Amino acid sequence: MEFLSAIEQLAPVRALRISFYAYPLVNAAHILSIGVLLTGVLLMDMRILGFLQAQPLQSFLHLMRRVALLAFGGAVLTGASLFSIRASEYVFNPAFQLKMLLIAFAGLNLLILHLTASDADGMPLAKRGARWFATFSILLWIGVLVCGRFIGFL
Amino acid sequence: MISPMRSSLAALSTIGFLAAFLAQAVAHHGWSWTEDGFFELEGTIAEIYVGNPHATLDIDVEAEVWRVDLAPPSRTIAAGFEEGTASVGDTITAIGHRSLDQNERRMKAVRIIVDGNTYDVYPGRVPSN
Repeated sequence: MEFLSAIEQLAPVRALRISFYAYPLVNAAHILSIGVLLTGVLLMDMRILGFLQAQPLQSFLHLMRRVALLAFGGAVLTGASLFSIRASEYVFNPAFQLKMLLIAFAGLNLLILHLTASDADGMPLAKRGARWFATFSILLWIGVLVCGRFIGFL
Repeated sequence: MISPMRSSLAALSTIGFLAAFLAQAVAHHGWSWTEDGFFELEGTIAEIYVGNPHATLDIDVEAEVWRVDLAPPSRTIAAGFEEGTASVGDTITAIGHRSLDQNERRMKAVRIIVDGNTYDVYPGRVPSN
């Protein structure tokens, strides 16, 4: 808690807290990151599930993975900024807590996919296991999106 | 083995429960969640937050803490109320609209009065005298 209060007192955080332009712009950048992230994730998962067969598996998944990871980085940076201005309150927000939990599950899901149902290049094997992970991935990330939207309403 | 279709259905119903849980949360943006008539609250300040997305006060009224929403920080500061304007423990009167949910100790203020000074954070919505 003291750590979170200390973050709230940092000069750039204080400036963002009362800013007129910066906060909505960071907010918009967060939404942009989430939009790109979910696009990458959903297309990647759909390809694994057997849709979008016209796209060559390897290059398509590589591209979508790069897009999703980049967007995730952007979402973390912008999200941490939005969190920082009132960290000691947001940390107790149930929607925020659930969102962090779902992101952790999504990460775990990706890790297990890599460890159990992927080839040496990290490509998901076209079998049932990978489809399971793809299905969970879609649902988890939509859950993350919905939880994030609810943070401001609790 | 359970088919991906069935697992999707199971997961979808989980999401459904999640949405139902979250839907119980009352939306606090705008004025749709508040009563039409004016409401007045008097107590002592427990916490002051002047920041995005909107400023808030926690007001202690007979050992019960109310959350009072104000305007976004730019409008709140423009009304003359800044982080250092009042202190925790000060007596305050908040005039505005109470939450439609009577179980919720929450309101959105259009005007606050601290130490004899009036701050109209929503000047267009203050009660006409």
